Amino acid sequence: MDTNYLIEQKNIACDLSSTNTEILTVQHSAKMPMNHTNVDDMPIMEKLGVLTDAAKYDVACTSSGVDRAGDKSGMGNAVAGGICHSFSADGRCISLLKILFTNECIYDCKYCVNRISNDVKRASFTPDEICTLTMEFYRRNYIEGLFLSSGIIQNPTYTMELIYQAILKLRTVHRFFGYIHVKAIPGADERIIEQLGFLVDRMSVNLELPTSEGLKQLAPNKHRKNILTPMRQIQTGIKVSKDEVAIYRNASKFVPAGQSTQMIIGATPENDYQIMSVAEGLYQKFELKRVFYSAFIQVNEDKELPSLPGGPPLLREHRLYQADWLLRFYGFTAGELLSEEKPNFNILLDPKADWALRHLELFPMEINRVDYQMLLRIPGIGVKSAQRIYRARKNTNLTFPDLKKIGVVLKRALYFITCNGKTMYPIQIEENYITRNLLDVKEKLPFDLGGVNYKQISLFDDQNFHKNPVLQDANQALFGQF
Amino acid sequence: MEKMILVCEDSLEGIFTAIYNAYELKQNHDNIMLQVGEAQGLLFSTYKTVVSDLLKMKKVVRTIINEFGESNYYCFCQALAAEDLEKADAVYHTIVHGLKNKRKSAVMDDITNDYVNKVFCLSRNVNNEILHLKGFLRFKELENGILFSEIGPKNNIITFLAPHFSDRLSNENFMIYDSIRGIIIMHPAKKQWVITRSELLNLDEIKKYSETEQEYQDLFCYFCEKIAIEGRINKKLQRQMLPLRFREYMVEF
Repeated sequence: MDTNYLIEQKNIACDLSSTNTEILTVQHSAKMPMNHTNVDDMPIMEKLGVLTDAAKYDVACTSSGVDRAGDKSGMGNAVAGGICHSFSADGRCISLLKILFTNECIYDCKYCVNRISNDVKRASFTPDEICTLTMEFYRRNYIEGLFLSSGIIQNPTYTMELIYQAILKLRTVHRFFGYIHVKAIPGADERIIEQLGFLVDRMSVNLELPTSEGLKQLAPNKHRKNILTPMRQIQTGIKVSKDEVAIYRNASKFVPAGQSTQMIIGATPENDYQIMSVAEGLYQKFELKRVFYSAFIQVNEDKELPSLPGGPPLLREHRLYQADWLLRFYGFTAGELLSEEKPNFNILLDPKADWALRHLELFPMEINRVDYQMLLRIPGIGVKSAQRIYRARKNTNLTFPDLKKIGVVLKRALYFITCNGKTMYPIQIEENYITRNLLDVKEKLPFDLGGVNYKQISLFDDQNFHKNPVLQDANQALFGQF
Repeated sequence: MEKMILVCEDSLEGIFTAIYNAYELKQNHDNIMLQVGEAQGLLFSTYKTVVSDLLKMKKVVRTIINEFGESNYYCFCQALAAEDLEKADAVYHTIVHGLKNKRKSAVMDDITNDYVNKVFCLSRNVNNEILHLKGFLRFKELENGILFSEIGPKNNIITFLAPHFSDRLSNENFMIYDSIRGIIIMHPAKKQWVITRSELLNLDEIKKYSETEQEYQDLFCYFCEKIAIEGRINKKLQRQMLPLRFREYMVEF
């Protein structure tokens, strides 16, 4: 394949995005890679296996953030809410065809299954294979689109150009208008990231680890600065593009579904407070759509890596996601949930209940009067219930049965609210009392806690404490007979 | 007080005609009930069978859209797609309740009203199934190139799926077959979709798959198997997210 072909392809891309011709026709340096040729003739089934295996540790699989109607000239549309097409045996959603372009890699990140020093089977797709798989899966409604990432071959720019070729072909030759998520590889040339950004819906740059110390320790080839540079570039690109679209309605959109990132939790010693502060910074300063947290899974033996006999830290990951939701939709700040003195989340209680228990002076709140922002802070009331309460109370005075109809989890909320001045039952607004009662309402977790159960680690273990010791107990205690 | 019960056919046409007739009676709405399907013997009540009338339906639809807005009309239609005996009565009384309100577009905000609540629950339930099937529905490529899909939904939602897939696969010939209700959506490439009874369906044709169909099914099954992380296997969560009733129609299970 020669470079003329690529330029021709780019011109077709210009039709799609007429106002951005300038960017798309940026002269390519002569060293634009030829199609990455595959030496071995591995059957497609085996390739798919190898490159899915290699991609599965990436967390993001959402197809949300953009509404796009279908185009009669091709196939596909996008739905803002995202669509889950299946669920794998680990309970995670399958929305996109999540694959690597290649699992060959010149880097040696200690936590990664594809690192250069690992002896695993290597494979690479051709752009045609990626296009065919995407189109045929999409037609059958197996997937919502493509998630393409890659190991690094030669250098980041070269790798990104290979990804660009595949995506360009998919968008222009196959005229695919479904969802596409690609990884921006830190260290790649700015121009290739910019060009790719106009073809895809979402881009993400992996933060990998919460702090730069962690990164130095486990990913010697990656640098914090290199990671933040493309992140900033994408942020700026999105802003500029939004302004352009506001003026010229048909201007092509740059990463319309926004950017996301992910970090590995539990491979390095950061505490929850550090992690949440990093996430908060990313939302505020880089305007990310999502930050994903991925419980560290041991795939390599390495002296730098912690050993986790209890399996991946799923509960911790779950608490971080809960807190992440509180940051994005509930108006909380990281500093309210955690602090230097209390740097980790409570194992027993979700972050919101934990916050409420530390701020009992604010409760109980009167459902019919308290403002929307405070409604959101009541345990047992989510965004949807809060909105319903807010709208419904315009017409009537809400009662407890009404709240039940609305979908409030009264088992949790009842300790924090009044309706028309009255609590549901006579209750005490007192920390120990409420904690005990909240712990009795078993929290719905997305996984089994394995051998650990609440009773074992409960601080409020008062089983059998109501019985007074009998004489025999006293004697046994005296002589040490247990 | 004797109740008046209007019995109508289980279709938008039937139910909206019944609502028209109920208003025509000019009685206290509390004494009127709507019932879909067959008359069920309630003592001390008069039954009246409603004959579906397209013109009356159109008038009611126009009023609903004018008074409550498109999105509430869509919500009512979703509720009426539910498999529930009280749906017609709930929508009727929600309309009665809503028309008394000052802010008519906010009719669904009165979630504490029993009828509104019923409509809300039904429509949410139907909407959830629509969202599920937008993802879980599977097409198989037949020998003649047509994409064919069989579904068995709890609610009558096939008409809600049709616009979504027509937009997405506008250049494909596809069919979606609701085997429980015996209805079928047909979408010829680049044309408008139509709905018909499934008697027209040639049962032999839909069992003949194209040459490559099996290959892509196998590829996808393999993909689904490979994408799961061993250290996080959680079948309970999988079952919670993807209820078993959908799986019999999905290639990967």
